[in-house]
Amino acid sequence: MATEIEPLSDADWPAGVRLPVALTFEHQSGEGAPLLPGDRPNAMIGGAMQYGARTGIWNILELLDEFNIQATFLVCGATAERYPDAIRAACKAGHEIAGMSYSFDRVRTMSTERERGVVLRTMKALQEVCGATIKGWRCPDYRISPQTLDILSEEGFVWDSSLLNDDRPCLFECSGGKIVELPFTTSTADKTFIGYPYPIRSTPDGLEGIWSSEFDVLYRESARACRLLVLSIQTWVTGRPAPLRSLRRFMQRLVQYNDVQFARCHDIALWSSARALSEKRS
Amino acid sequence: MWKEIPLQRPGQWPAGVRLPIIVSVHHQSEEAAVMFPDGQADPFDYSERQYGGRCGAWRLLEILDRHGVRGTWIICGATVEKYPQISRAVLQAGHAVAGHTYEHEMMCNYPPDRELRLIKKTICVFEDILGVRLRGWRTCFASHNTIDLLLEHCNFEWDASIWNDDLPYMIEGHGRRLLEIPFSSYSDAAWAIQITNPMPPTPYGTWHSNPPEFMLRALTAQFDALYERGAERAVLMPLTVHDFIVGRPSRSSVLDAFIGYAKQHEGVVFATHDQVSEWWLRNYDGHEPVGHKQRN
Repeated sequence: MATEIEPLSDADWPAGVRLPVALTFEHQSGEGAPLLPGDRPNAMIGGAMQYGARTGIWNILELLDEFNIQATFLVCGATAERYPDAIRAACKAGHEIAGMSYSFDRVRTMSTERERGVVLRTMKALQEVCGATIKGWRCPDYRISPQTLDILSEEGFVWDSSLLNDDRPCLFECSGGKIVELPFTTSTADKTFIGYPYPIRSTPDGLEGIWSSEFDVLYRESARACRLLVLSIQTWVTGRPAPLRSLRRFMQRLVQYNDVQFARCHDIALWSSARALSEKRS
Repeated sequence: MWKEIPLQRPGQWPAGVRLPIIVSVHHQSEEAAVMFPDGQADPFDYSERQYGGRCGAWRLLEILDRHGVRGTWIICGATVEKYPQISRAVLQAGHAVAGHTYEHEMMCNYPPDRELRLIKKTICVFEDILGVRLRGWRTCFASHNTIDLLLEHCNFEWDASIWNDDLPYMIEGHGRRLLEIPFSSYSDAAWAIQITNPMPPTPYGTWHSNPPEFMLRALTAQFDALYERGAERAVLMPLTVHDFIVGRPSRSSVLDAFIGYAKQHEGVVFATHDQVSEWWLRNYDGHEPVGHKQRN
């Protein structure tokens, strides 16, 4: 059973880095759409989500390329199989490809063996599509099972980002080794505010303001404590032109800070755990 | 049963106090996490709330400290047990504390004997871990027995569980007196997010959240109206924030900005429930202390 060792309050960011920023793009093509009564597929909502796979991800890749920023894509295996070109392009551009189940499989009540099957199938699908061996994971609906971290550790993963309980990376001792948890939050997620059919609560501008004030507070605190900014972004929400402009303005603002570093989750996980792991060994 | 003791003349605050604001910080960490029908906590909801105990409470403490504001920390017994450092830091900083049930039980669903056991258990946790005898209480989801239980079996000076008035009022029953300091729905749990739905979060798996400035506008409207009324009659502004809601970075700026705005107004005083209770008692002839007769 995975146990938390500690929040990594002394994470060792590279010289000159005060606050790492992980843009995590959740990528599916309707696999997570709620089913209609009788377990029928929901073509309307599924279609809205397909926007991300067909078009949104390409818009986002273009934007990241413009800023020369590396990010993390949390991809459903089935989405990668249906729309392989975008995943290959993302991987080729140096972004990290990580897993978000095969077909938005909700693992909370799954048996260990079934959940392991989901992890392995996703790894295989992503490997076949883009050649990458994935090292990171986020559970669909952010509902982890009691054995998720153990399974990930046994299958060679380095990090998970399914918890929402901290501003710092945290280290877990699991059955197969250590896993770095990179907590994120839905309080700044695009789908919390502007992702119809989720309830609409704000506007693209409003979302930019929320990202901005999250950054301001964490940046201020990062002067004297370890902080990490992880944004959860849906390719089907922010991949649309209007929120994309909000993301561009947000990035324009952040790149002006020399000590703010956009980074892939895998890199952040390695920075986070380097000191803790070397101390444990010595 | 109890009766209300009416004031003989309109209540007043001490000279120079035009609008007292009580910031209540609900420090409850993951205690109220939604349970699925299979008896397991919803991992998403649990993790969102746990943020409050691990990070949010510290941020709120820092914001209050930066503004020199003291408020009332309303804390679950189990949260004191799990995160004692934050409760100690709260006391060290001079804030008031009050009990908020043991594990955020919805008391409306409990029989009176169980409710009383949970109240007593919470009182003991504060005494054992923090060495504090509680002066005040805020229940979670009041039952029809809550007030009677507090009067008959406990020694609280004040209760702040009911949303039914703008001003404090004294009640008497079971041979004891208790000051009710009502609170208000102008809280983050109402304006920042929707968490009162007793069902598990939707299959989409996120809370229904409003943008932070939405809550700031509501608080400012509430403040402006009360400040205006405060020129001619006694008013009180209760303001409730939760460690896991406004404790999030983007939402914490709401509290920061609101305090900054309110402080610019003459006669605005940030006070604890303990202070407000002492002030309001002066409106009763004889200044009878309520609850227990002696405090350590």
